[in-house]
Amino acid sequence: MTSRYRLVSIGLHLVMTVWTLFVLAPLCLMFVAAFKSQADIFTRPLGLPKTLTFAAFERAWGIGIGGFLFNSLVVTALSVTLIVVVSALAAYVLARASSRRMQALYLLIVAGFAVPVQSVLVPLYQFVSAAGLLNSQIAIVIPYAAYGIPFTTMLFYAFFLEFPRELEEAARLDGCSRFQVFWRIVLPLSGPVVASAAIFQAVFNWNEFILALMLLTETRVRTLPVGIYGLIGQYSADWPALMAGLAIATLPLLVVFVAAQRHFVRSMSGLGK
Amino acid sequence: MKTFLQRPVHIMAFAVGLLSVVPAALAQDVTLKMWTLDNPGYPEFIAQAAEAFKKTHPDVTIEHQTFPGDAYKTSLPVALVGSDAPDVFFNWSGDAAKRLVRDGLALGITDAAMAKGGFGTELGAGLLDAFRYDGKLYGAAADAVSKYVFYNKDYFATNKIALPKTMAELAGVCKAVRAIDPDTVPMPLGNKTRWKAIHWMTMLNERVMGIDGTAADYDLARPADALFTDPGYAQAFDELLKLQDAGCFEEAPNATEYTVADAMFATQASPMEFCGTWCTAGLDAAGFTNYGFFRLPLVEGGKGDAGANFLVPEGFQVSSKTQHAKEAVEWISFLVSPEQGAKFAELTKFLPSNPKMIDSVPNATPQFREIVADMGTFTRGVNVLDVLLEASVADAYLNATVEVLNRTVTPAEAVAQIRQAALAAQAKLPAK
Amino acid sequence: MTDVTQQEPRSPRGRRDVLSGAMLLPALVLVGLFILAPAAYAIVGSFFEFTITSRNWVFVGFGNYARAAGDPVFWTALRNNAFLIVGSAITQVGLGTILAAILDRGVRRGNAIYRTIIFMPVVVSSIAVAFVWILILDPNVGPLNAIVKSLGFRPPKLGWLGDPQISLWMLLVIAAWQNVGFQMILVLAGLQSIPKELYEAAALDGARGFRAFRYITLPGIRNVLIVGTLITVVGGLKVFDLVFVTTGGGPANATQVLGTYSYLQAFRLGNMGYANAMSVVLLAIAVLFGWLQLRLSRKA
Repeated sequence: MTSRYRLVSIGLHLVMTVWTLFVLAPLCLMFVAAFKSQADIFTRPLGLPKTLTFAAFERAWGIGIGGFLFNSLVVTALSVTLIVVVSALAAYVLARASSRRMQALYLLIVAGFAVPVQSVLVPLYQFVSAAGLLNSQIAIVIPYAAYGIPFTTMLFYAFFLEFPRELEEAARLDGCSRFQVFWRIVLPLSGPVVASAAIFQAVFNWNEFILALMLLTETRVRTLPVGIYGLIGQYSADWPALMAGLAIATLPLLVVFVAAQRHFVRSMSGLGK
Repeated sequence: MKTFLQRPVHIMAFAVGLLSVVPAALAQDVTLKMWTLDNPGYPEFIAQAAEAFKKTHPDVTIEHQTFPGDAYKTSLPVALVGSDAPDVFFNWSGDAAKRLVRDGLALGITDAAMAKGGFGTELGAGLLDAFRYDGKLYGAAADAVSKYVFYNKDYFATNKIALPKTMAELAGVCKAVRAIDPDTVPMPLGNKTRWKAIHWMTMLNERVMGIDGTAADYDLARPADALFTDPGYAQAFDELLKLQDAGCFEEAPNATEYTVADAMFATQASPMEFCGTWCTAGLDAAGFTNYGFFRLPLVEGGKGDAGANFLVPEGFQVSSKTQHAKEAVEWISFLVSPEQGAKFAELTKFLPSNPKMIDSVPNATPQFREIVADMGTFTRGVNVLDVLLEASVADAYLNATVEVLNRTVTPAEAVAQIRQAALAAQAKLPAK
Repeated sequence: MTDVTQQEPRSPRGRRDVLSGAMLLPALVLVGLFILAPAAYAIVGSFFEFTITSRNWVFVGFGNYARAAGDPVFWTALRNNAFLIVGSAITQVGLGTILAAILDRGVRRGNAIYRTIIFMPVVVSSIAVAFVWILILDPNVGPLNAIVKSLGFRPPKLGWLGDPQISLWMLLVIAAWQNVGFQMILVLAGLQSIPKELYEAAALDGARGFRAFRYITLPGIRNVLIVGTLITVVGGLKVFDLVFVTTGGGPANATQVLGTYSYLQAFRLGNMGYANAMSVVLLAIAVLFGWLQLRLSRKA
């Protein structure tokens, strides 16, 4: 019995290890390639760098990876905050209403989840451009917020439907307004769903590419994906610098994630509610 | 938490703001917004030019923005229709520029260009033609790129390989290289982004049919029943396949990045590459100095002209929405002046449209000077297919070339696909 | 659902409605202005022929839809979307569930390390992912070819990303590499929220192993699986960056998806109306999936 158990256990470890190595290999390749010369990357694809030089990192930094990183952080933080707050407010009102009109409004918001952003690029661009908001952080934060709201509202709606009414009613009897009930009672008890919505949207907005490509055309406002994409020139590319840029772009988030991973699984439980 | 209550207010204020167009700032000073690609050296070139321009135009400020190539092609037309259009912008001569002219987004600037000090009095007639439509000027060529077969002089000398005079001899060189070491790729192609092979087809069409033989097809001016029916188109594809059969290209050229192909030549793993004049910068950066170049050889029995070579003018246009047309034209005239031409060559390593002071460029490599001299002797410029052709025909040509290289269609089938796209595009042309 | 309004006589109804309205308004305004209005514009635009830069729209009725029906590339793109949707659902949700199950009950040692590493690619920007994989899959200098050759096999003649038969599978592999970690954590969270007492009670009743999985685990993570599948399906429908950067829809349109093909038509070939029509098709499919999801989770 125990030997069979051990065999199964080894087998399961093997599965986990294989996938873990599969995940690690490309990441390692990226970090290693950043230390190689262009010639080394192309002539000895599996070789280790000959010398340990940070030249590629310097070049990548010189192009402004640091700025892109900062922009991405600002844009992601602002848009996620906006998404969570706006969606929570709307979802709460909708989850506490039963009229057909309110249900229709809920469906209207949720329908937005189905609209792929590239299908509305032109009107969106013209809209933002007409408002004189091109090349500003706000130009991207607001559409990001808009595109995050439908899914997040869905999440919160499901959560609030199950939220115990007794607590709210007690607060009401104490004379709290609906907003106060929401702000003082409901929201503080919605930790998991807020965390998972925030994580999901953060990952999504951090990676968003096409809107940023269209709306952030100046180097100083570009976010990471567009900044990295810009490292490939019209006719030429500096692969070591590209890989170094990717490494610089990736590392901070990896560190944050590794540090916070303990709390991570629990905070994701909100997505399944 | 305090900001929470304010936030919805902000959003609503923002939404209201969206509905009203922000009025352009009213000021005495003129700000010209300029868009270009973010090729190496461009930001530095524009920055020093803007500084120098201040001497004669103290009230003009240049606001320069750069884009990666792919984003540029998308953003430019969208921005030009929007309210935040650049005053001056980079563009390729060809279909892209023609479309902007047709849609009234590029400003006709003939008069200002021909005025004293205007670029019309500086540039040669051939280069002015690059942005001339229906007899009017719509832009100034700033530079022109060409293509040559670059080769490794050491490799050719060590292995006693002679420079090829015909396409057949070029195929022979490839075979000789493979005979020395079957793992050496003689001239990597790198066609994953599709434009490397279309550059080949651009030149092969010329080498087979001559410029005059193809012009009417490229313009969609030929009658429908004759459009793209010249057997030379299929023959040009055959010439490409002959090179592939001779082992010239790498395996899976359609899956290879052009940067990989460039690196293979620059790191001297490959002895040749058909590469643009822009490639010299990469070779210099890689520390590779002993390279030479020659024009793509003629096809035996073809109608090609040895004096004709690949030549794609690129330049600056003015938006029809600009409030400062006069300053804009003065600015682009300044950019293509002899002094700025030399600066342009120095900083971007591209070949300026105005090479009068090219000898003053510091640190120019011998090859750079040779290329400038050679480009001065072209009898005709061959503009590249994917820029020249109507967009849908260009796309069909790009895809057909990929499939020919993959051997998934025959040259004849490929030409049939292109002809079909050309017929569809011709049918849509406004009747004259 | 109960209507709270009626249970609460204290605050005047009118004021409450105003407050509710104010709480709803930001979401409605944002979604309306940035999603629904542009979508309506796209729907209207699908009945016209125009370019980004032209000012005259020519009404063509259902012409653009007829054009799509007769355009083989449109069908290729649609098929590729379907392939990626089904493929991603199987690989990402499937593998994610298996890995999560192992983490939850199978292995104890190294649990945190596995979990952390496998989730890592999720936080890497998909543009970065695409560039790294381009390098890996390069037919001349890529490490994958080197490995395959050193094992004595022949790598594909047209390249991993150059052969339409293979490149779609490669896209699936890259997508799985990036997203399995997300699904795994999602399912793991679901698994861990199932009270352990349920299993103990079931064990007393003789339900172990598969029966416990069937009657406790599966219902416990049902909603998680639905959400995970929905995210994957919508992701497969909206896929753009990955294809755009790795294959650009090539070779010769073989890996186009609706997202990249409508982008090509709109921004490269200038056929805005046609691109809009394809977007509307995409939209219709997405709405259908969204409706299905609502149905499924309502039943739960």
